[in-house]
Amino acid sequence: MNAERILRAPARYFLAAVAVGLVTAAVFPFASVLGPEAIGMLYLLAIMVVAFRLFRGPAFFAAALSVAAFDFFFVPPAFTFAVKDPRHLLTFVVMFAVGLAISSLMVKVLRQGEAARLAELERARVALDAEAARLQARTEELRSALLSTVSHDLRTPLATITGAATRLRDAPEGSLSPTESGPLVESICTEAERLERLLVDLLAMTRLESGGLQVRREWVPVEEIVGSALSRLEVALADRPVAVQVPDEASLVAVDPVLFSQVLVNLIENALKYTPHGSPLEVRATVGARVFEMEISDRGPGIAAGAEGRIFEKFVRGDHPGVGGVGLGLAICRGMVEAHGGTITASNREGGGATFRIRIPQDVAPLGLPPELPPASGPRAAA
Amino acid sequence: MTRALVVEDDAPMARFLRATLESNAFEVTTVTTARDAIASFTSTLPAIVLLDLGLPDGDGLEVTRRLREFSATPIIVLSARGRETDKVEALDLGADDYLTKPFGTNELLARMRVALRHAARAKGAEPEPLIESGPLAIDRAKRLVTVEGVEIHLTPIEYKILAMLAEHAGKVVTHRQLLAEIWGPGHLEQTHYLRVHMAQLRRKIEPEAARPRFVTTEPGVGYRLRVD
Repeated sequence: MNAERILRAPARYFLAAVAVGLVTAAVFPFASVLGPEAIGMLYLLAIMVVAFRLFRGPAFFAAALSVAAFDFFFVPPAFTFAVKDPRHLLTFVVMFAVGLAISSLMVKVLRQGEAARLAELERARVALDAEAARLQARTEELRSALLSTVSHDLRTPLATITGAATRLRDAPEGSLSPTESGPLVESICTEAERLERLLVDLLAMTRLESGGLQVRREWVPVEEIVGSALSRLEVALADRPVAVQVPDEASLVAVDPVLFSQVLVNLIENALKYTPHGSPLEVRATVGARVFEMEISDRGPGIAAGAEGRIFEKFVRGDHPGVGGVGLGLAICRGMVEAHGGTITASNREGGGATFRIRIPQDVAPLGLPPELPPASGPRAAA
Repeated sequence: MTRALVVEDDAPMARFLRATLESNAFEVTTVTTARDAIASFTSTLPAIVLLDLGLPDGDGLEVTRRLREFSATPIIVLSARGRETDKVEALDLGADDYLTKPFGTNELLARMRVALRHAARAKGAEPEPLIESGPLAIDRAKRLVTVEGVEIHLTPIEYKILAMLAEHAGKVVTHRQLLAEIWGPGHLEQTHYLRVHMAQLRRKIEPEAARPRFVTTEPGVGYRLRVD
C-alpha cells in the first residue's frame, strides 16, 4: 500500500544511512555551538524519521550508525572512536535505547493505524454484503411471489376450464340437461376471461418494468378519455350510478390516449371490485395550465389505515374475502402514470369510501401540435 | 353458402374458426401462410377473409396490401392485444375491421355480418340513405340528423364526421381515414382537430357525452358508429 513498503530492504538501509549522514553533515559546522546533548537529540530525530518512513530494521541500523557517528565526529577526541570521558558511554547507551524505543513505538502506531483502516474497510464491506443480501432476498421474495401468483392464478382457472370442458365432452349424448350444461359453459367463459386478464396484466407489468413502454402523447379532450373507459366497462357499470364531472369539450390534455384509458379502466375496475353492487362512483377531472388532475371516488369500505401507499405495489391486494385478482391493476396504473411524469395517490373520503387521485404535469409535454381549435370549416367542408 | 378464407397459422385457432363458421353456414378454406393466402384467394374467390396479423412468414399486413391491389373483398384482421399500430396500419391499408384475440363467437359473427352487408351494398352501388343507431337517425339523402325524432343542427364538419361513420356503420373508422376525407391528406397527423369536433358532435347527439352510446372511441385506433 505505502510506497515505502515497495522499496527493497537494501534500499531502505541505504536511505537510513543517508539520513544519519545528512544529520552529521548538517550539524558538523555548528558542533561547538550546539554541544553534545543537542547533537544527540538531532540524531534521535533522524532515527524517528527513519522509523516512521522505513520501519524497524533500518531504524535499528540508523540508531547504531548514529551512535558511531556521534562518537567519531563529536565526542572528544574527535575523529577517533576513542572516548575520553566515561560519561559519554552512558550517552551512547541512552541514545541507542531511545532510538530503539522510538522505532518500536512508531511501528506499533503505524500498525494500529493500518489495523483500524482495515477494520473500517471490513465494516463497510460487511454492510455492503448485508445490503446485497437484503436486495437478493427481496428479489427472491418478489420472484417467488410472482411464481406462486402466476402458477396459482393460472392453474385455478385452467383447472375449472379443464373440468367443465371434459365433463361436456365426455357426457353421453343428450345426458346433460341445460341446467347442468349452462353453468359449466358459463364457468369456462368466465375463467377464460380471468386468464386473459391475468396475462394482459403480466404483460403490461413486464413491459413497464423492462422500460419497453412507449408513451405517445397526443392532445385529447378529457371527455373522450373518460368516455372510452366508461364505454369499455359499459356492461360492468350497468347497475352503477356514475357521476362524471369533466371540463368542457375543448379542454385538451397531453397524454397517451391508449395508456391513460387503461389507467382509468383499471381504477374503475378496482372500485367495482371493492365496493358493494349498486354503490355510486364519481369521476372528476380538472385541467389547469400546468397540471391535469383526475379523481375516481367510490363509497365502498375505503382503504385500510396505513395501506394507502402499499396498495400500489405489485401483488398487493386488499384483504377482502372473495375478491379475485393478482394485485397488479394498481401497480400498472402507477407505472403508467409515472411514465407520464405524474403521480397517483389514494386516500379515504369524508363520509366513507376511497378517492384515487392522478396528477399529470402538462408543462412538460413536448408536442409539436398546439392545442388550438381547428378552423370552423375545413378546406373540403364548404357544403 | 358463403365462402370464407381463414388465414391463421395456429392450428387450434384455425380449427375453432372453421367449426364456428361451418356451423353458421360458411364454406371454409384455411391456410397457414401469407404466400398460400394469395394463391388460395385467387382460386377460391371467398366472400370474406379472416386474417391473422401474426403470421410467421411475414406479414398479415403484406397480405392486406396485396389483396387490396385487386380486390375489395372484406378483410377482418385478427390480432393480439397491445398491437394497436399493426391494427391501425391494416385498417389504413384497407382491412374492413379488426378483432382482438381472444374474442367471442358473437362478436366475430357480428363483425362478419357488418362487413358482408357493406360489401353487398357496395356492389349494388346503392347507398343506404337512412342509418340508425338506437334513437339516432342519419338520413344522408336529406342530410338530416335526428335523435328520437328531434332534428339536431350540426356544423358541416360535424355532419361530415357523422356521415362518414354512418357510411361505415358498425365498422371502425380510423383517425387517418376521417382526417383524409374531411380535412384532406395534408392533415393526417392533426388528430386533435378531429377529436375536438368529435367532442362537440357528441355533446349534440349523445344523452351523456362522457358516456357515449352511439359513437364509441377505440383508443389509439378511431371511432365506431354502433348499430347493434
